Amino acid sequence: MNLDEWKKQKRRTTFFLFITLFLFLVISLAQLGVAPGKLLDSGERIQSMLNSMVPPDVHEPSGVLEAAIESLQIAIMGTFWGVILSLILAVFGAKNLAPHWTISYIVKGFAVLVRAVPALIWALLFIAAVGLGAVPGILALAVNSTGMLIKVYAEAIEEVEKGYIEAITATGASKFQLVMQGILPLITPIFITWSIFRFDINIRYASVLGVVGAGGIGWELVRASQTMAYNEMLGITIVIFAIVLFAEWVTRFLQKWIEKSNVRAFQSNSN
Amino acid sequence: MPIHPIYSAATSPSDNAMLFNKYKKAKKAVLWNRALLGVFLFFILLWAWIGTSFQIAELFTGFANIVAFLVNDFLPPDPGAVASMAGPILDTLFMSYAGVALSVGISFFLGVLAAKNLSFHPLCAFLSRSFIAFIRSVPAIVWGILLVAAIGLGPMAGTIALGLSGVGILGKAYADLLEEIDESQLEAVRAAGASWFQVFGQAVWPQFKSGFVTWSLYKMDLNIREAAMLGVVGAGGIGYALESSISLFQYKEAASGIVMIFFLIVIVEFATAKLRERII
Repeated sequence: MNLDEWKKQKRRTTFFLFITLFLFLVISLAQLGVAPGKLLDSGERIQSMLNSMVPPDVHEPSGVLEAAIESLQIAIMGTFWGVILSLILAVFGAKNLAPHWTISYIVKGFAVLVRAVPALIWALLFIAAVGLGAVPGILALAVNSTGMLIKVYAEAIEEVEKGYIEAITATGASKFQLVMQGILPLITPIFITWSIFRFDINIRYASVLGVVGAGGIGWELVRASQTMAYNEMLGITIVIFAIVLFAEWVTRFLQKWIEKSNVRAFQSNSN
Repeated sequence: MPIHPIYSAATSPSDNAMLFNKYKKAKKAVLWNRALLGVFLFFILLWAWIGTSFQIAELFTGFANIVAFLVNDFLPPDPGAVASMAGPILDTLFMSYAGVALSVGISFFLGVLAAKNLSFHPLCAFLSRSFIAFIRSVPAIVWGILLVAAIGLGPMAGTIALGLSGVGILGKAYADLLEEIDESQLEAVRAAGASWFQVFGQAVWPQFKSGFVTWSLYKMDLNIREAAMLGVVGAGGIGYALESSISLFQYKEAASGIVMIFFLIVIVEFATAKLRERII
């Protein structure tokens, strides 16, 4: 096959690919009943909703503030327990540390299953199992975090060189000593980056977990929408927006601080 | 590469002493910082712990409860529910796809406007970036609740919510990708007298394409999970069916729904991986 033919064939496959993608979009829109007409029909409703949204209002400032703080606290606790659980499980999930390779596969399979269930569904399950309040929120976030953190921690541990582990085992170190002295110091940078990243995600989740009754500000938003208090909805949305911005600021601040307390500080201090 | 002062060889004993002092000072500062950070994190944790009145015991009872709950009430999944869950799960797929299409369209436009090297005016780039940042900072579920209130229950609200949440992610990704492209190619094509569209097609697109495809397909993967959550607030799809079967205590039905979500995620991730290979 010469180059021209190859190019032509490639162009043809791309063309068919795009036709398929486009057809699938048309089918999707038809199946969902999404039509511009329908959107225009609800124009009046949207108009009146927007009108009653401004000015944004918070009916009970102290209650909303409390709920916002509870969201933050749920995120912190959820991340904390998620990190601890994942660290323990990741040691068993990493192929080079697991007592047996089947255990490694079981732990990783567990992580995949956990990841497949969205955070909000986890919250629903925990509410069914332990009741309403902040605790199911914390547990749901912790479990949901393990799905992602086990995977990245285990991958980080697996990247540790074999010789390194052998050297420490040769000194007669126990498994626990091996992890604490040999593995943890090596994976610290990856560990910190991913844990902070997960905290950022968890704050976003914590601000909406209340939607299903797992504590925090989400519940206030649903309550406002059920009573059709649109101006309150906008007010609470702005509070959630502020929480997320605050979270981004905190994670950036933490990252800088941690950088200051590791080796890089030597370089900047010597100038 | 210039050698950093701290690594460069000391030439005299006094230099050595100075270096050592510097090292000691730096080490002390680092240790202090680490201690301070530890104390800070400890108090934050304590604050959260007391605020949520969490007890260690709850961790054990909570996990024991959920395991008992999953084993007793959830398993085995009800195979009879597969038929009734098939509609909602297809809806979830359609919602995710239409949502991606919507967000790719809007983000492409906003991303080009937001990229400093392609935008028409710096102010325009700034405004577009701020708009994208605003959309990104409101969680998809919140968009879902607002849209359900605005246009009523159903998959349309979910699709638009997914589209909006995609703009937050893809708009930023596109703008960053576009800002990172090699300027010299742009200059070369511009020097040949190309119009803006010709510059875009000949110099920008070939560099932008792989990132564009990767990010867009990644958003498709994310959307399945997000679509499953959006249903919980009434925006259609499998989440809606799950929520109603859980609130009716039909846990075995919900279990088969969760298994189906799992398979949908696996299939979609496989398909997007294949597509990425094919296109790039």
